[in-house]
Amino acid sequence: MHQGKTLLRKEGRQKLQHQLSAQILKSSRPEGFPAAEAFVSQMAAAEPWPENATLYQPLKEDQILLSDSASSLAVQTYLRMCGLPVQVVCRPNAEYMSPSGKIPFIHVGNQVVSELGPIVQFSKAKGHSLSDGLDDVQRAEMKAYMELVNNMLLTAELFIQWCDEATVSQITRHRYGTPYSWPLNLILAYQKQWEVRRKMNAVGWGGKTVDQVYEDVSQCCQALSQRLGTQPYFFKIPTELDALVFGHLFTILTTQLTNTELLERVRSYSNLLSFCRRIEQTYFESKDS
Amino acid sequence: MIRPPSDPQEPHVALVEEWNASEQHHKVVVQHVNIQGLGRTKEDLLGYEISDVFNAKNLIDVMKKAHIARQRLLRLGIFKEVEVLIDTSEGADALPNGLDVTFEVNEIKRLTGSYNTMVGNNEGSMVLGLKLPNMIGRAEKLTFQFSYGTKETSYGLSFFKPQPGYFERNLTLNMYKVTGQFPWSSLKETDRGVSAEFNFPVGPTSHMLKWEGVWRELGCLARSASFAVREESGHSLKSALSHTMSIDSRNSAIFPSSGALLRINQELAGFTGGDASFFKEDFELQLNRRLFWDSVLSASLWGGMLFPIEGKPSCIADRFYLGGPTSVRGFGMYSIGPQSEGDYLGGEAYWAGGLHLYTPLPFRPGRGGFGDLFRTHFFLNAGNLCNLNYGEGPRAHLQKLAECIRWSYGAGIVLRLGNIARLELNYCIPMGVQSGDRICDGVQFGAGIRFL
Repeated sequence: MHQGKTLLRKEGRQKLQHQLSAQILKSSRPEGFPAAEAFVSQMAAAEPWPENATLYQPLKEDQILLSDSASSLAVQTYLRMCGLPVQVVCRPNAEYMSPSGKIPFIHVGNQVVSELGPIVQFSKAKGHSLSDGLDDVQRAEMKAYMELVNNMLLTAELFIQWCDEATVSQITRHRYGTPYSWPLNLILAYQKQWEVRRKMNAVGWGGKTVDQVYEDVSQCCQALSQRLGTQPYFFKIPTELDALVFGHLFTILTTQLTNTELLERVRSYSNLLSFCRRIEQTYFESKDS
Repeated sequence: MIRPPSDPQEPHVALVEEWNASEQHHKVVVQHVNIQGLGRTKEDLLGYEISDVFNAKNLIDVMKKAHIARQRLLRLGIFKEVEVLIDTSEGADALPNGLDVTFEVNEIKRLTGSYNTMVGNNEGSMVLGLKLPNMIGRAEKLTFQFSYGTKETSYGLSFFKPQPGYFERNLTLNMYKVTGQFPWSSLKETDRGVSAEFNFPVGPTSHMLKWEGVWRELGCLARSASFAVREESGHSLKSALSHTMSIDSRNSAIFPSSGALLRINQELAGFTGGDASFFKEDFELQLNRRLFWDSVLSASLWGGMLFPIEGKPSCIADRFYLGGPTSVRGFGMYSIGPQSEGDYLGGEAYWAGGLHLYTPLPFRPGRGGFGDLFRTHFFLNAGNLCNLNYGEGPRAHLQKLAECIRWSYGAGIVLRLGNIARLELNYCIPMGVQSGDRICDGVQFGAGIRFL
């Protein structure tokens, strides 16, 4: 959505809120449903959710990066919230197996779906949905906040991973190339770095410094914290927005980077901290994911 | 031993016709062997090729040896034409029965280029080729080929260096990027690699030692590819040493009427780095024998085995494939053996055999000309492809390869293209079809270089 691009510019808190409301108003118009998605939904609706659904992600110990781990956790949380069983399988080539090139993807029956958005629609076609209880305005608001998280938090994670020299050289490049032997590990890591940097330039983040990115993360967390307030979830019932926010924030809180700057920024919002703890206890039985 | 002629301006005319018959067995001594027309070619390279002419004892011998030397000079690939002149020797030290042999050569241009367009398989491409023959003067050759297509781009750079005096011993260095699409497996593969290849003859056999380092990228050709193929997507690095031995005593590569071919190839991957780790063995055997009335009976046998090392499963790009108009006829292209949802995954062991009877076209139309490019053939093909569980013994493996044999028979017409390729149009009847195989019974067309 092109509205998302305007959110990325560094702006004061009020301007951010203003943009958010503009997006909510825009999203409340009825959306068209692209033909391809309609077809996938039709095929998906035919069979119930099987027992052997699998979710694929890169190797947990050595390979997976912050952004992928966050996205994967978001999908796992969403499926747990829906009560859909899924088995997590780690493969070194998960990124290349995925039809869109993004992590995670699920293999259900003989269908392969990647990323949270399409997975939410896929499960909706099978009759499982969390946001049915919301009215149109609330649903538009939920979509706007999900866009915010994707455009701010996810992009910030990618930036810190691939554009911050210290992190890239100490952590990212090494982890990304773990499953491959020399010189392929270096070639693939540099290729991916070049690709992500190009994408950052395309969305206008190319000129930012790491401190500016930390500021953006703070602002995003502030917006989320304000919306959450003292409620247990963002809306009356847990929705995909809760899963997405939990996925990103929990991963940031539990991943070791070169410094603790990002962690401290998130931790300064106590209601977000307790939100993460609550979801972890409810859905993951107090075991670290 | 090579001296430029004493008077390069005066043309020398061969005086052979003036010698009467009895002179042919008269003892002669070859005093000078000259090469004229050299530009960038280094003389020491050519010394080896023409040195044998000095050993000639009489005139017939001189002519024979000069002819052989001319062939040797031409096979270096650095001369457009070579002419031989034999003359009596001149000069202060000329003997009465002395001869001078002169080779007049015309070197190939420094740079040759070619440009083609190719259309095939829903893709068009433009192919540009550049060749620098005899680059530094000792028959080295640098070749560059670049293909720019609507779907894929590929290129290759190759440097060839023969050993001076021993042209059959040569070294080739390659650097390439090739892409391939394999619709029978819903797979597309991009290979970027370097290789170093050393060829040398040992007696009647010719050997090749090669090291190859390839970065392979596999991907699904369509969104509907089976999950088994999707699991193979991604990058891998193969660093492999291979050795090939071949003996070829056939009288022709395309329609041999006598002789045999044996080619054995081993490949070991993983010990020089890389992700892929396996040992692969395959062989090819062909026997030909002329029967009555210009017909030829030809029998061929192919086989191969792939042993993964260190327990890693084999990669789809390394496995063997079977079936199609160039292997077991009557079946779809590479459409025999293990498959998943219609995508053929290849197998770790296979064998294939063929028995052919080639005859000239009935009633021999166009005899002596166009008709000789055609043959009719009657064939019987058989083969099997499967995966092996390497924990079991060789007896169990042989048993597995002997079960569920696919075979076919039929007849057709074969056309020879140049000296490299052939076209076939056959009527095939496949038998022993297992569930999962794709057949092509009835008329099948095939074009290629290597046929079972």
